Amino acid sequence: MSALRLISNRTSQQASSNSDYTWDYEYYEYGPVSFEGLKAHKYSIVIGFWVGLAVFVIFMFFVLTLLTKTGAPHQDNAEPSEKRFHMNSFVADFGRPLESGRDFSHQMAEESQSLFHFCISEVDHMNKAKDGQKGPSLESNTHFQEAPRSCGMFEEDLHCLTKFNIPNFVN
Amino acid sequence: ENISDFSLNITDCTQVVVPEEVFFTVAAAGILENLLILIAVVRNKNLHLPMYFFICSLAISDMLGSLYKTLENIFIILCKMGYLTRHGDFEKKLDDAMDSMFILSLLGSIFSLLAIAADRYITIFYALRYHNIMTLRRALVILAIVWTFCAGISIAIALFSYEAATVIPFTILFPLMMFFILCLYVHMFLLARSHAKKIASLPTSSVHHRTNMKGAVTLTIFLGVFLCCWAPFVLHILLARFCPHNPYCACYMSIFHVNGTLIMCNAIINPMIFAFRSPELRSTFKKMFYCSR
Repeated sequence: MSALRLISNRTSQQASSNSDYTWDYEYYEYGPVSFEGLKAHKYSIVIGFWVGLAVFVIFMFFVLTLLTKTGAPHQDNAEPSEKRFHMNSFVADFGRPLESGRDFSHQMAEESQSLFHFCISEVDHMNKAKDGQKGPSLESNTHFQEAPRSCGMFEEDLHCLTKFNIPNFVN
Repeated sequence: ENISDFSLNITDCTQVVVPEEVFFTVAAAGILENLLILIAVVRNKNLHLPMYFFICSLAISDMLGSLYKTLENIFIILCKMGYLTRHGDFEKKLDDAMDSMFILSLLGSIFSLLAIAADRYITIFYALRYHNIMTLRRALVILAIVWTFCAGISIAIALFSYEAATVIPFTILFPLMMFFILCLYVHMFLLARSHAKKIASLPTSSVHHRTNMKGAVTLTIFLGVFLCCWAPFVLHILLARFCPHNPYCACYMSIFHVNGTLIMCNAIINPMIFAFRSPELRSTFKKMFYCSR
C-alpha cells in the first residue's frame, strides 16, 4: 500500500519538511537501517511467523479431529439383549420428546430434542415443498444438508434416524 | 524524489518483487470467479436464501480486495508512463479511497465469515425456528448494517492514517473474530460428536470415521486458509507502525508484495471452499455455461 510510504516518511525523516507523496513500487526507503551485527538470521521473523502459523493450524486440526471422534467401535460387539435395551431406550426418548415427566438426563433430553427438531423440520420442509412450488423443494433438501456440511455428520445421522425412528415415533 | 542518501549493506533485504503478469492473472481470476458467483445467485431464484446472501457478501469482499490490487497496479503503471502526476492532491485522495477499499475488503471478509458461521450455528441449534429467526429481510438488514459499519471503520482508518489508536484495534479485531468463529464451530462439533455417539450405540449403524474427519478437515481448511492469507498482511501493518527501522522488521516488510498476492489467492480459494460446495450453485453454473454455448 502506497499509503504506508507516508508512515516511513513521517517516522524516519522528521527533518525533511516536504514529504513527497509519490506513487512508486519502491514502498520503503530503508532509511538508516543497518544490517550489521545481527545475532539471528535476517529473515528470522518471516521464518518464525510461518512456522508458528503452520504449528497453530496443525494443532487446531488435531483438536478438531479429537472433538469429532465418535465412541469406540467395539460397541458393535455388544450382546443382543443389551442392544435391544439400547434400542428401546433410544426409541423411548424419541417417542416422548416433549414430555417432561420422564426421568432421563437433562442433557440427553435437550440433545435428543434438538435432533428431533432437525428431523421434524426436514419433514416439515418436505411437506411445505410439496404444497408450495416445485422450486424450493430441491432447495429445502439441499439447504438442511448443506448447512451442517462442515460438521459432515448430519446427513448420515438423519438418514439413520429417519429410517429407524420416525415410524416408531408415529406409533 | 526524496530518497535519502545512505549506503546499502550487501546483506540488505531487498524488496521481493512479484512479476506483474502473475499479479494480474491472480487478480483477474479472483474477480471473475467471485463475479460468477454473484451472477449465479442473482439469476437463480432458488438461491435467494440467507445462506447464499452471506456467501455473496464474502464474494463481494473478495472481489474488492482483488480489485484494489489491480487498480493500484494500473495506477502505478500509468504513473510510470507519465499519464498521471506523481505529486497531486487528486492522486492522494484517490490513494486514500483505494486504501479504504482494501481495509473494507478485509473487514467485509471477516464479518462475512462470521455471518456464515452464525447462520450455520442457528440452523443446527435452532433448527425448528430457523426460518423465523433468519428471514430473508433480516439477513439483508444484517448485511446492510455490517457493511455500513465496515465502511465507516475503513474510511476512519484511511483518513487517520495508521495512528496507533487505529492500528491496535484493527489487529486485535482480526484474531478475536477468528477465535469467535472457531468457538461457534467447536460447539457444533461437540453436538455432532454426542449425536454420533448415540448413533454408534445403535445396532444397525456403522461407525463413520470417514465423515468425522471430513468436518475437521473442512473447518481446518477454511480457517487455515483465511489465517494464512491475511495474517501476514496484518503483521506487516503492526511492524510498519511499531518497528520500521529494526532490521528484522525491515526484512519482514520486504516481502510485502508476496503478502498482497496471498490476499488475492484467498479471493480465489474462498469460492471453492464455500460457494462451490453447494450442489445447487454448481448446477446453476452448469446451466449458465450450457446456455451460453
